[in-house]
Amino acid sequence: MNKVELEGIYTAYEGGARPVIRGLSLTVRAGEYVIVGGPNGAGKTTLLESINGLAKVTHGSVRVCGIDARKAGHEVRKRVGYVLQSFYFDPFTPFTVEQVVMMGRYGRMGFFRRPQKPDHEVVDRAIGLLGLEDLRKRPIGTLSGGQQQKAMIAQNIAKEPDIMLLDEPFSNLDFSTREFVTRVLEGLAAKGMPILMVSHAFDDLPDRKIRIAIMNDGKITYDDTCDSCEVEAIVRKTSRMN
Amino acid sequence: MLEFLIPNNIVCHAVEAMLFASISCGILGVVIARMNISSIGFTMSHSAFAGAAAGIFLGLNPLLTGILFSVLVATLLGPVSDRTRMSVDTTLGVMFAMSMAVAIFFISYMQYLGRGFSASGLLFGDVMSLYREEIYALAVLSIVTVAFIALFYKEILALMFNVKLAEASGIRTKVVFYGILFIIAVSVALNIDIVGGLLIYVWLVTPAAIAYQFCYSMRNMFIVAPAIAAVISAFGVWAGFEYTLPVGPLIAVLFTVAFALAVILSPKRRITSNKS
Repeated sequence: MNKVELEGIYTAYEGGARPVIRGLSLTVRAGEYVIVGGPNGAGKTTLLESINGLAKVTHGSVRVCGIDARKAGHEVRKRVGYVLQSFYFDPFTPFTVEQVVMMGRYGRMGFFRRPQKPDHEVVDRAIGLLGLEDLRKRPIGTLSGGQQQKAMIAQNIAKEPDIMLLDEPFSNLDFSTREFVTRVLEGLAAKGMPILMVSHAFDDLPDRKIRIAIMNDGKITYDDTCDSCEVEAIVRKTSRMN
Repeated sequence: MLEFLIPNNIVCHAVEAMLFASISCGILGVVIARMNISSIGFTMSHSAFAGAAAGIFLGLNPLLTGILFSVLVATLLGPVSDRTRMSVDTTLGVMFAMSMAVAIFFISYMQYLGRGFSASGLLFGDVMSLYREEIYALAVLSIVTVAFIALFYKEILALMFNVKLAEASGIRTKVVFYGILFIIAVSVALNIDIVGGLLIYVWLVTPAAIAYQFCYSMRNMFIVAPAIAAVISAFGVWAGFEYTLPVGPLIAVLFTVAFALAVILSPKRRITSNKS
């Protein structure tokens, strides 16, 4: 079953001289593990935000889990996990890790509903999965960059999304944590959740078939499936460096 | 309501009004401080001031026109910020200048027409001339504020944490944010009679800033900020009447002193000397 269907989309930012994404088509099926590569400014983050409706798609069709993302972006975002590329939380931010992970479920809960026992159970599982049990009561701003990154991944797992979008999720992680997060993502993909990940780190990919989508200048210029050990070589060969 | 505690009717009314205003302003101040939109305090107060000046000029109820003008500005704030892609703070600056200009225009024009108009009541408030209906309005506003925060607590929490993350999680951020602006507008317009347009800014910012020095959770901040506001305001009313001092400015000074003490005593700034 197709979870993401993009057909000839154009995505533009206000004031931009031309669209960032230009005539892009992409289909992602359940359980696929997709690495989105390409040089800086190719439109990788914009592609993720076109899928979840955060960026304005001006032409073309975006269907996510059967929902038209151009018309009902917030409905799509309730069902799509999105780990952002960069974030900063000041050390005095009065939100604990547990609260932040629970926030992943807020959109799905809808207005006027408080977190119930099942919500807390899901949050507990997500915290456990990412190994954050000892940090759950700590203010998120007092955590290291890598620990915050894990908390953000846990937040999106707690959301129980149908699709997971990740933008450079390994940027703040050390090698052992990368391995650990890779195993978590592999587990999600094995259960049928499609993973779309913008990444430049290829040393800890799961041992499985990986689909590579290389973007250049707002378009997908390479799209194929390979073994994980081949990914880095293919990305280097197919990405035009700036 | 508090006549059984405070026999003097004027003082009683002033304390009641201060307590209700403390609840609404203290709670909203937490949201304002956390979302870095503190200039909404003086922008809204000057919008209410401009609306009230226009009301007096037109021979209408200044409280009503103050509320209407504030609500109009609050309604414009969100869409203008979205449309221009400017920060809310920048839009607030534009609205502040416009509101101030409207207020000064009406005041100057009334003076030119020989219709004496003193702006000091609107600028500094007047706790001694409150009608019972105004106190009831403040009570209703406090209830509405508490109800709004309780109903949309999780959405407001997410917005205060990070707007983009809240949006990415599927929350209708605009609906909630516009609702917050609306409540702030009405709250400022109703409270302008008590502390005045200039001093309300202190009320919307300082209690939350004091609470922030001691609280590690948003839930505690929502409780501590209005409690601090209520205690300082009630003390200010008592001291003002006891020593014949202007109540509004006195309370503003007390808030600032309390803030300075809070910064000095805050446990958040302590660096551990423990070696283990």
